[in-house]
Amino acid sequence: MLALLLVFVIAGGARAAVDSTVTVALKAIHGLQFDVVRFRVKPGATVRITLDNTDDMAHNLVITQPGKREEVVNAALQLGEKGPAVNYIPKSAAILWAIPVVVPEETGTLSFTAPKETGVYPYVCTFPGHGFVMYGAMYVTDGVLPPLKEDKAVPETRRTAETTAQAGHAQHAPQRFHPYQPEPPFLYRIFMPDASPAAIAVSLPHDVSYCWDAGTCRLRYAWEGGFLDQTKLWPGKGDTEAKLVGTVFFRDKTAYPIQIGADKQTPAVDFKGYQLIDRYPEFHYTVDGVDVYERIQAKGDASGLVRTFKIPKAEKTILFITEPTDGMVYQSSGGRWEAGRLKLSPAEARQFTITMTKKAD
Amino acid sequence: MGKTVLILLSIWLFIAAVPNGPKPAPKAAYRVETIPMPDGLSAETGAIEFLPDGRLVASFHRGEVMIYNPKNRQWSLFAEGLHEPLGILVVSNSELIIMQRPELTRVKDRDGDGKADLYEKVTDAFGISGNYHEFNYGPIRDKDGNLFIGLNTASPNGGVRSEVRGLRDTVGTDHPKQMFSPVPYRGWIMKLTADNKLVPYASGFRSPNGLAFDAKGRLLVADNQGDWVGTSPLFHVQEGRFYGHPGSLVWNENWRGGNPFTMPLPELETMRTKAAVLFPHGIMANSITQPVLDKTGGKFGPFAGQLLIGEMNQERIVRVMLEEVDGQLQGACIPFLDGQGLRKGNNRLAFAPDGSLWTGQNDHGWAGAQGIQRIVFTGKPPMDVYTMNLTPTGFELTFTQPVDPAAATQPDNYKFRHYRYEYHKTYGSPQFDVQAVPVKTVTISKDRRKVTLTLDELKPGLIYELTLGEIRAANGEPLANKLICYTLNKLKR
Repeated sequence: MLALLLVFVIAGGARAAVDSTVTVALKAIHGLQFDVVRFRVKPGATVRITLDNTDDMAHNLVITQPGKREEVVNAALQLGEKGPAVNYIPKSAAILWAIPVVVPEETGTLSFTAPKETGVYPYVCTFPGHGFVMYGAMYVTDGVLPPLKEDKAVPETRRTAETTAQAGHAQHAPQRFHPYQPEPPFLYRIFMPDASPAAIAVSLPHDVSYCWDAGTCRLRYAWEGGFLDQTKLWPGKGDTEAKLVGTVFFRDKTAYPIQIGADKQTPAVDFKGYQLIDRYPEFHYTVDGVDVYERIQAKGDASGLVRTFKIPKAEKTILFITEPTDGMVYQSSGGRWEAGRLKLSPAEARQFTITMTKKAD
Repeated sequence: MGKTVLILLSIWLFIAAVPNGPKPAPKAAYRVETIPMPDGLSAETGAIEFLPDGRLVASFHRGEVMIYNPKNRQWSLFAEGLHEPLGILVVSNSELIIMQRPELTRVKDRDGDGKADLYEKVTDAFGISGNYHEFNYGPIRDKDGNLFIGLNTASPNGGVRSEVRGLRDTVGTDHPKQMFSPVPYRGWIMKLTADNKLVPYASGFRSPNGLAFDAKGRLLVADNQGDWVGTSPLFHVQEGRFYGHPGSLVWNENWRGGNPFTMPLPELETMRTKAAVLFPHGIMANSITQPVLDKTGGKFGPFAGQLLIGEMNQERIVRVMLEEVDGQLQGACIPFLDGQGLRKGNNRLAFAPDGSLWTGQNDHGWAGAQGIQRIVFTGKPPMDVYTMNLTPTGFELTFTQPVDPAAATQPDNYKFRHYRYEYHKTYGSPQFDVQAVPVKTVTISKDRRKVTLTLDELKPGLIYELTLGEIRAANGEPLANKLICYTLNKLKR
């Protein structure tokens, strides 16, 4: 492997009166971006730049003369088959310094003496396709930087102030994530907290939501007061999961809530899919080979859930098991409750509802 | 459906697609048009296909499956809420099989109202760890009714959730810079048999974003440059074979245990099957995607029977020509279309019934673009290399049109060099053995369509990159593409 991590030290013609070295630590991050999109150095300063590639593709870094970023990016594109051999860095008088290609998880370094001429010196990744979005600006100045919002030297998407969580921000017009505005009930298959990776998040009317897990074939939890923080939903690269908005009022703490026949503890389950009935999903799964259908609605006063089960081919007694400390009061359309367990005859199990109401505090 | 409300359902768009040339004789063989997308859609295109009735169906990362009617330019919503749908197999106008993150799902509109109401699991007999990079690709169906899907490995830039689906391997995970396979069968191509059993078919993949069959029904799979993948390859995939990325080996039924990343390189080298075609990184393509077979029988120009393949990082679609040499598939790649209004991010390709090629674009945090475009053959014959075939002493180039013999017989107009990429754990690879290869003789056929080149020497295991000079058609038209790369695995006897 070639030594990709060359240190380019370019001694400027004139010796600048420098104080100590300024170190700028840059990272190449996912989404074709540098984590830092601008920084300031004094004219003639000794500068050391490190480029830590935390992305999963290779990048380089080229510093150009003021106003020459696009020219250099286009020249890099023109390299064609000669690109790899020169680290996608074209021969150009507009290029001042460069860090050759840095592969993921490696770090490249560059040291140089900043120009004496003040100005905005672009830095950019000239990898084919990257250069039009992946860039930033080195300000060589003794003065102050323009407001970030108006800084044309940084990518438009990065001209917002450091976006720290604006959780308390009042809801203005709801942000649209689709070409339509979903109205509950609707669902997303999405990575959810406290569930297997095959989770389904369902938004019900009355601001009630639940997480049903297709990996384990069960209702995992339900919450009230909102649905999901959409901005966390589809970020592109990087691990993520949806964030709940509201308060969880129920978590299933049983080993498994449905039991077919006698007293086997952990049944074998298999997810089969769902159909939409008035837009409500009715989940279909098997428990020890027996077909179960389950549809979940919100109680009209948002105080809990109504779960409609169908086990049309039940041949044995069906048990529905609850956990006394789960904060819910259970009622059923049929069967007999015994110590938190609902016993249903095969006939009763063909269709039954379980109403779960939050206990009054 | 009921009282609820999908406000949009159909959007009339006034914007005409953007043609590149006016009515008189077209200047170029192909024209790129941009399809208007629904307002508010994040058009990260996961899949595109055509329904039997000629409408386009497309899926997007946020879970929408939408149908576009090219006749009236209206979009409508077919399904929603899917988890990263990246592949569609059309069953009928009202039924699709969709590859999404947790499963392969049959999505069906039973009541004929244009919206899916049944989402039925076809298979979920594979693991998911929650790592962001575990994309799923396919399905494609062979003539016997088997389906094939591809399972991406997990990225070391992401983790594994505490609750996973499937068995959990921790041995092969202990290698921080490698893509890995924490659950079965990440890094495998899987076959779903007609009786619905999902069986591991071939291993050694890193990021197999693109499956297709060639004209002879051979399974082709594209992979992406990275660790163990020096430059992006197109593999001819056969049952039981291993294609180079060790992560997947932990799920081989004969796996001996231990960490596959610590296996001696020579051992891996003897196990692996090499790519049929390599796409030199930063030269031909950085991130290849979906191959598609030109079955248009001439409606899309002269390249019927060849493959087109998408590229994410550049405004390019690449053409692939394959041939069998000494019992193995190998061949050449050449840009098919560059720029001309084409965007980057060409993630999915599909031919419309009218023979136009549609491209679904995606970025999703990588280099790329969003939206859908279509490429139309204008009827003007392209001036291009039609095929590049190996001979025992060099190559034979066939052009789409007779060439002007003056330039075409000049050896100087054929600049060859060869190089290779290393098979190793490091991300990507520099080029090794880079060397110019002189052309000794040039002969031209009577019909002036074929040029036969003899080279100083041919060596297997190298890419032969040819840069063509100022060769023109007999009518003076210049070559559309001048760079072509042949992957020489086997010499022709």
